[in-house]
Amino acid sequence: MKVVDGFKFIPPGLRGFIKSSIPDEEFKSTIPWKPMAKPLAQTTVALVTSAGISLKSDPPFDVEREKKEPLWGDRSYRRIPRGTTEKEINVNHLHINTKYILRDINVMLPLARMAEFEQEGVIGRLAITSYSFYGFQIESNDFIREAIEPMSGQMKTEGVEAVLLTPA
Amino acid sequence: MEKRGFSTVVLTPTHEFNRAVGIPRSAAIEYPYGRPVGQVGDREGQRQVLLEAISVFEKAKTPGEVYHLPFTWPEEPKKTDWQPPEMSPIVKFRLDDIRKARQLKDQHE
Repeated sequence: MKVVDGFKFIPPGLRGFIKSSIPDEEFKSTIPWKPMAKPLAQTTVALVTSAGISLKSDPPFDVEREKKEPLWGDRSYRRIPRGTTEKEINVNHLHINTKYILRDINVMLPLARMAEFEQEGVIGRLAITSYSFYGFQIESNDFIREAIEPMSGQMKTEGVEAVLLTPA
Repeated sequence: MEKRGFSTVVLTPTHEFNRAVGIPRSAAIEYPYGRPVGQVGDREGQRQVLLEAISVFEKAKTPGEVYHLPFTWPEEPKKTDWQPPEMSPIVKFRLDDIRKARQLKDQHE
């Protein structure tokens, strides 16, 4: 059985630096947990990514301030309606190469694939709205208040029960 | 999000962060950052990854479980070109520490 090496693609120096911030032992505090309320085939699923995807009709994520303040990351979020394609998006992110997402949004935010799974009955529904935020957040309490709370509120309104997250 | 009533799965390229922050359900994928679902235009490959990832919603029974997905990226790490064209601000900012980490690694090998 495969054991994933999460550092395989990270260059050696950066790998050592990141590893130094991760403890060797398992996480010991309480992890929040919402059990699945019903089978996946009856569940409404939203997608959330930290890849800095925005609709062309919305303001892009602010990467210019981060260039001046390396410990700051844009705390806003964007709504991405189901059916959105790569033709309709901008991607602004200083920590990944964004060119692949611009060619095929599904490599990061798989809206088309999840819509197929809805058609096939694998999931109950793909939510009306999925979301992107910007994946470099250090001040997490402010981020939770400014992004996670309003995203969660809209998800509740739209009947979302489960979320697949794809970090960038 | 779990506290707000949503069951979550993280399709993560670096599942090791689970030890630092505690992730409710992880689907670990050995793919480069920026393409956790698969290659551009590879509908079938993306479907396979996603079917495994979303199966974790029902398979995981206790908080913190990590499921290792069985897929292998077809390129060598150096050829994946996943990093940004310009060094990220935090990497520039911590470059001395990163170089030290590199030196320490070299000394150990």
